[in-house]
Amino acid sequence: MNNSVKPDASAAVSPGSNSQSPVAGHFSHLAFWQAMGPFLVFAATVLTVSLVNPAFLGGTGIAIVTGAAASILLVALGQAMVLHIGSIDLSNAAIALLGAILMAMALPTFGIAGLIAVLVAVTFFGAVNGAIVAYCQVPSFALTLGMLGIFEAAALVTSGSETIYVTKNRELVTVLYHYRLAGVPLTFWMGVVVALLYWALLRFTSVGQGLTAIGKNEAGAIFAAVRTGWLKVLAFAISGFTAGLAGITIVAQAGSASASGLGSDLLLPGIAAALVGGTAISGGLTNPVSVIFGALTVAFVPIAVQAIGISAQAQSLVYGIFIIVVVVLTTTRSRDEIIK
Amino acid sequence: MTITIPPVVRLTDIGCTFGSVSAIKSVSLEIQRGEVVGLVGENGAGKSTIIKILAGIIPPSKGRIEINGIICSFRGPKDAFKAGIGVVHQEQSLFTNLTVAENIDQHRSGADWMSRIGLQRWSRVNRDATAALQKVGVKLDPKTYVRELSFIDRQMVEIARAVCIDPAVGGTPLVVLDEPTAILEPEETAVLEREIRNLKQFASVIFISHRLDEVLRICDRVIVMRSGEFILDKPSKDVTREELFSAMAGRHSQESQKGHARSPKADVAAIEVRELTRRGQYRNVSFAALPGQIVALVGSNGSGSDSVMRAMFGAEPHDGGEIKVDGRRVAGWSIPRAVKAGLAYVPAERKIEGMIGGFSAAHNVAMVHPGEAAIGPIRLPHLRRKVAQSWFNRLDVHPNNVVQPLVYFSGGNQQKVVLAKWLNSKHMKVFLLDHPLRGLDAGASETVNAQIRQACDSGAAVVLIPDTIEEALDLADKIIVLRDGEVSARYDMTIDSNLSVQDVLEKMV
Repeated sequence: MNNSVKPDASAAVSPGSNSQSPVAGHFSHLAFWQAMGPFLVFAATVLTVSLVNPAFLGGTGIAIVTGAAASILLVALGQAMVLHIGSIDLSNAAIALLGAILMAMALPTFGIAGLIAVLVAVTFFGAVNGAIVAYCQVPSFALTLGMLGIFEAAALVTSGSETIYVTKNRELVTVLYHYRLAGVPLTFWMGVVVALLYWALLRFTSVGQGLTAIGKNEAGAIFAAVRTGWLKVLAFAISGFTAGLAGITIVAQAGSASASGLGSDLLLPGIAAALVGGTAISGGLTNPVSVIFGALTVAFVPIAVQAIGISAQAQSLVYGIFIIVVVVLTTTRSRDEIIK
Repeated sequence: MTITIPPVVRLTDIGCTFGSVSAIKSVSLEIQRGEVVGLVGENGAGKSTIIKILAGIIPPSKGRIEINGIICSFRGPKDAFKAGIGVVHQEQSLFTNLTVAENIDQHRSGADWMSRIGLQRWSRVNRDATAALQKVGVKLDPKTYVRELSFIDRQMVEIARAVCIDPAVGGTPLVVLDEPTAILEPEETAVLEREIRNLKQFASVIFISHRLDEVLRICDRVIVMRSGEFILDKPSKDVTREELFSAMAGRHSQESQKGHARSPKADVAAIEVRELTRRGQYRNVSFAALPGQIVALVGSNGSGSDSVMRAMFGAEPHDGGEIKVDGRRVAGWSIPRAVKAGLAYVPAERKIEGMIGGFSAAHNVAMVHPGEAAIGPIRLPHLRRKVAQSWFNRLDVHPNNVVQPLVYFSGGNQQKVVLAKWLNSKHMKVFLLDHPLRGLDAGASETVNAQIRQACDSGAAVVLIPDTIEEALDLADKIIVLRDGEVSARYDMTIDSNLSVQDVLEKMV
């Protein structure tokens, strides 16, 4: 986001500078869409569904959608930070689930301290990913694909393939799901706060500027004295940490954790949410605030498909087509750019 | 009976607009068989647009293109190629992971059914490539990979690719050379000049360059473009360099102020390399630059000068010898450390290493030394724009829009931003510049040179790899000549003040 121009800023520039090139005009149009696209797509989806089925959004509809979106949002935010430097983290959903299992095991004995210890551990897992990518120069796709398997196995082993119920201190986390602020569970608000923090990090700090520089042009960043190695470690550590927070939302919602239960299929929705939120898979263009709407859209569409009354068999088909169309609409690109 | 041969190219009333901006207003042009036409103009004058229209990359908004008497409307580069127009673009456009022959044959892919389904008759590909190479008089094995070739050889392959066109309708091919000499070293340029004279025998040539002397030497006719119009079109022998310059810029050339009155500000070298060695690159290179001094490293491609400079900036390792900053030997040298010690580096590969194109110009200016736009690790966007704006005013950057991504600026304006990035530090100690004027027009070059001098006057030591030897003679206090990785000559301009280009050239080859 810190690279982009807010629509109002570019609008303020246009009348004053008469030497504006046509590319610049094209660019401010893009900047507007980049900032607003994901929100508009979500708003349009909600509008469509409430027109077809007005009863849907009444009552607990919002709570259900945002509750389901919370874990997707957190995984997507971590993913977006890694995508921002031009890498990908295929292991972060597995880290989230492993984190959830460890938390469910640690909560009865250690309470809050257990949660914090697990958060530290998952942040470290992420940092290990980053260190291997940065210093052993392993492509992130290959490395995290391997790590995905390792963390999944770790989740199975630590849980003994069983559901771990939080027998004591359960209310410490379940309150996050059950307590609602403006009809929205705290788990989702946690995601919103994290998104705002990451947005500020990218926009207002030297660290954020360095991360963006790596995503846009790594060679250029190196020659501008950006410490690319440790910033890569940081991006993956952020992904691990945020996955840990997603683990909290899983336990908060289910009151338990298991290797095949709630939260075991977050990887692809997480990537989809980051992309629908306008994140470029090639790096350098991430707006964590837009990812909020990306996650909402991704969580909302399966529910919406049911609400409109599309038959169960066709649901994934509609979901798939929708995601493709939305990514076409929200991905920021310029005409001369090459998309791989 | 006399048959009038139509001109190779006839452009009638060609115009090209992007949105509300007209890049080319209305130009007409005829090029005869065997003619070499020089096209000059500042960056943004519309030269590239003309070339892109001829190459079929962009369609003109109006006007008529006739090639060898046939009216053409190109739907893509392939159509232009078929009509007999071969373009050697400014940036090298060869596929380095393919062989010479594959590159030369590139435009033919899909010409017959076999290649359309992905099959190649290698004997034909190699035979055609050999013929094309012979036509331009270069001895190269068509089966070598392009990555193994030197710059000049690559340029020759590009030319071979451009001339292996056999216009489908017969007639004379047109070869367009868009700044072919920008990345070549002086002795390579000589080879290219010979090549262009050879091309005249069977083709017409459009030659684009920023080096006016070169244009006057090579071309039969020179056309000056400014703001999308042809404002001068004369035979080379009837026009002077000064006339070209004032036509291009709309003002008179400022005679280069020789700045040899400079005196070093201190006697401890700001930067010194001693016996610096990297196996396979350079050996025992030693020199020093005092504060307030400009040292030029001169050498052809492969002389190792660029590697030495990168080692000084901590961007490449070295095997032996030492680097001293302010008289102190550095250890564990890296780019972040070098920058912290007050070094700055403008790389030759501007778009890849020198800048972050997707970032706004303001971000690029404040990238390394944010100045007042930073409070500790916090960055303040509005102050960043202010800092950038002050540099935009000082260096006259166009368009005057600091939030526009840098990639949308022209080369000269990009380079000004790259300079601003380093000049925004108040403590610059050493300024390393690798080909800072590459691809820049006269106006931008003047701005850049003035900033280099100013940095020097305010106490920085400047180490410069110039584009041309003239540039070194104009700017430098000391010249270090490198040949095959070793220092072959050193000149102190206060003593050797009547050094000539020829003297230096002799030490280079």
